[in-house]
Amino acid sequence: MQVDQPISSRRQFLTSTSILASSTWLTMNWPQIVSAAEHADHAGHDASIAAPTSFTTLTPVEVTEVEAIANQIVPKTNTPGARDAKVIYFIDRALGTFWASELPAFRSGFAEFQAAYAAHCSTTAPFSAGGNARQIAWLHEVDSTPFFQTVRRLTLVGLIASPKYGGNFEKVGWKLLGFEDRHVWKPPFGYYDKDYPGFEAYPGTKPYMA
Amino acid sequence: MANKKFKTSETVDFIVVGSGASGGIIARELSQAGNSVVLMEQGPRLSPGDFDHDELKVRQLSGITNNPAVSPQTFRDDPTKKATQRNGRNPLTYARIVGGSSAHFNANFWRFHEIDFHERSVLGSISGTGFADWPISYAELEPYYTKVEWEVGVSGLAGASPFDPPRSKPYPMPPLPVKSSGVLFERGARKLGLHPFPAPMAINSILYKNRPPCVQCGLCGNFGCEVMAKSSSVWTVIPEAEATGKCEVRSESYVFRIGMNPKGRATGVHYFDKDKNEQFQKAKAVVVCANGSETPKLLLNSATDAFPQGLANSSGVVGKYLMFNKGGGAQARFEHPLNEYRGANVTRILQDFYHSDPKRGFYGGGGMDARSGGPLGWGQDTPEGTPEWGEGFKEYLESYTYWMNASGHGTSLAVETNRVDIDPELKDAWGIPAMRVTYKDHPDDMKHAAWQRDLAVEIMDAAGAKEIVPGEIRNGNGGVHLLGTCRMGDDPKTSVIDKYHRTHDVKNLFLCDGSSFVTSGRGQPTETIEALAFRAGDYISQFAKRNEI
Repeated sequence: MQVDQPISSRRQFLTSTSILASSTWLTMNWPQIVSAAEHADHAGHDASIAAPTSFTTLTPVEVTEVEAIANQIVPKTNTPGARDAKVIYFIDRALGTFWASELPAFRSGFAEFQAAYAAHCSTTAPFSAGGNARQIAWLHEVDSTPFFQTVRRLTLVGLIASPKYGGNFEKVGWKLLGFEDRHVWKPPFGYYDKDYPGFEAYPGTKPYMA
Repeated sequence: MANKKFKTSETVDFIVVGSGASGGIIARELSQAGNSVVLMEQGPRLSPGDFDHDELKVRQLSGITNNPAVSPQTFRDDPTKKATQRNGRNPLTYARIVGGSSAHFNANFWRFHEIDFHERSVLGSISGTGFADWPISYAELEPYYTKVEWEVGVSGLAGASPFDPPRSKPYPMPPLPVKSSGVLFERGARKLGLHPFPAPMAINSILYKNRPPCVQCGLCGNFGCEVMAKSSSVWTVIPEAEATGKCEVRSESYVFRIGMNPKGRATGVHYFDKDKNEQFQKAKAVVVCANGSETPKLLLNSATDAFPQGLANSSGVVGKYLMFNKGGGAQARFEHPLNEYRGANVTRILQDFYHSDPKRGFYGGGGMDARSGGPLGWGQDTPEGTPEWGEGFKEYLESYTYWMNASGHGTSLAVETNRVDIDPELKDAWGIPAMRVTYKDHPDDMKHAAWQRDLAVEIMDAAGAKEIVPGEIRNGNGGVHLLGTCRMGDDPKTSVIDKYHRTHDVKNLFLCDGSSFVTSGRGQPTETIEALAFRAGDYISQFAKRNEI
């Protein structure tokens, strides 16, 4: 492979490093190589993520109600919330695949949640149809139940896990945290290491390097 | 060089079981000494391109670690209770790939200090424990620590800590660049009169041994390094072993029993290949480097009529004295963003309180570091007083980049009832009896962890933190530092291996990994595991040359 050619993929880049690692050229060009690889990697990665459009595990009622709960856990304010991050698609996928063993308990918890809400509010309308204040008041009543805690956990993971799992749509979860999805960083990393003067030796010590 | 292939019917000089921190080194040392070696690994061999930044897969779905769905374990905190499986989680975790846990570690590389090897003699016995001296000294191991640092690759600043143990050479690479957590940790600790210093890390800071410097991606712990900057066996010693033309790496090969003949000698290993077909590889000698959980499990599952309580277990201590490295710490929020998800996880540590101080009223010593991790998991727990959901919770989520951890790492005492053994009922996906873990922290370990937590709070306060969340001190129910379960010693009645890692009971069976530890050290065991491996490889090669195996 020609080292001065654009590197088209992360895998190609990684293969190239094992070939070139001993060269002086690598030492001189490492940051540029990695930046190119990072750019290629994430450009390809992003392009490959299509927004999910259908559900395979949850029923339409479950989708509507659980999404309403999730959106109270991480509400939309002046920044996106759980609904904007499409965490319900993550929850649908998780409970249908890698956390499928939790689905029965999830469903029985959901049934209890619905029944208790109807009894408490004396209504046949679902939780999702309640106003914001009513939803919040009810969730305060049940936020220590295993069902709520499960929805909370799934909402958070769906918000922050890789978008390829269905949530974190357009990386809104990462943006919310201030996390920038990059492969390579150089100092300064944060506010406090910007002006670090260097390590000062202690009296009686003699730090030394090879 | 093409990977050497041996037939199972061929009697190789050595089988090394486990390709991690110790197994890779021993395979290299034995093959470079001219011996034929098959290096067996349960998991697959991954290339750099197979590693990625998928936190969910790696941290929560056992992407590269032992998977509870197929390799389950049970747990109990009291030997009189029935052990149970815990909600899809295993108590003991290790990487199940070529390179083992050296592929997914954080890469903190602390040497032990002199005191670690003879602390029992200095402090005396401790009630309810098997606290003992090692049969070797720091001075004996020092050349091998140096060998680790130069052969495998460690970055750091020699002599920076007033408490640094004696060393014959500096680190081969300068320390990694400091990050904000390191600066704040150093600032707070120096204000208290302490001596933080650049962390020694098994991560390249410059081009070294044909591997590139760290690109500061920020995902070290739990992840394989996709640019090969982390000094893992899979990138360092294993290719060198293969380059001899005398070493085969046999991945996806699960060793479940050691073969024995009527004369009490090991004849090879029984294993399942990747298609779950049972195979037997013949060998003149076996070296088990499968980690502090799998090594005792393999010995206990290899019981024969001649060894009814498990192989090499005439002492009865195989699997006993399990230690994890207990510690306490604190989380702290600062005024400006630290962006701790960037850069190698640890850049500053201190070891001012390495020694146990009887004035504190309990046994325990250790070190502390400033560290961080990736975003997944953020918000699952919240500080007291912070809403767990809603707008207030969202504000907490948005503060992610303003936080850091000061984490203590310390001693765990060797308690006989803390152990790995075989569950009487549970089997894994191959039909092999699964491991059962019994563990409860010694009261002194709990006290020391609480002491470290209070120190962490003090350091973060001195650093100017706006909010500090002291860590909870809970009884340990699992770990990744798997230590002490086949302890080294001179007395066959109280230990499993001798000072050269040969089992007392089986002349051609050797063990070398975290299970060999007599005491836990102070929190970062891998450099010591690797130094022991270089030393064991050296001695075992000499034994082979002199026909003493």
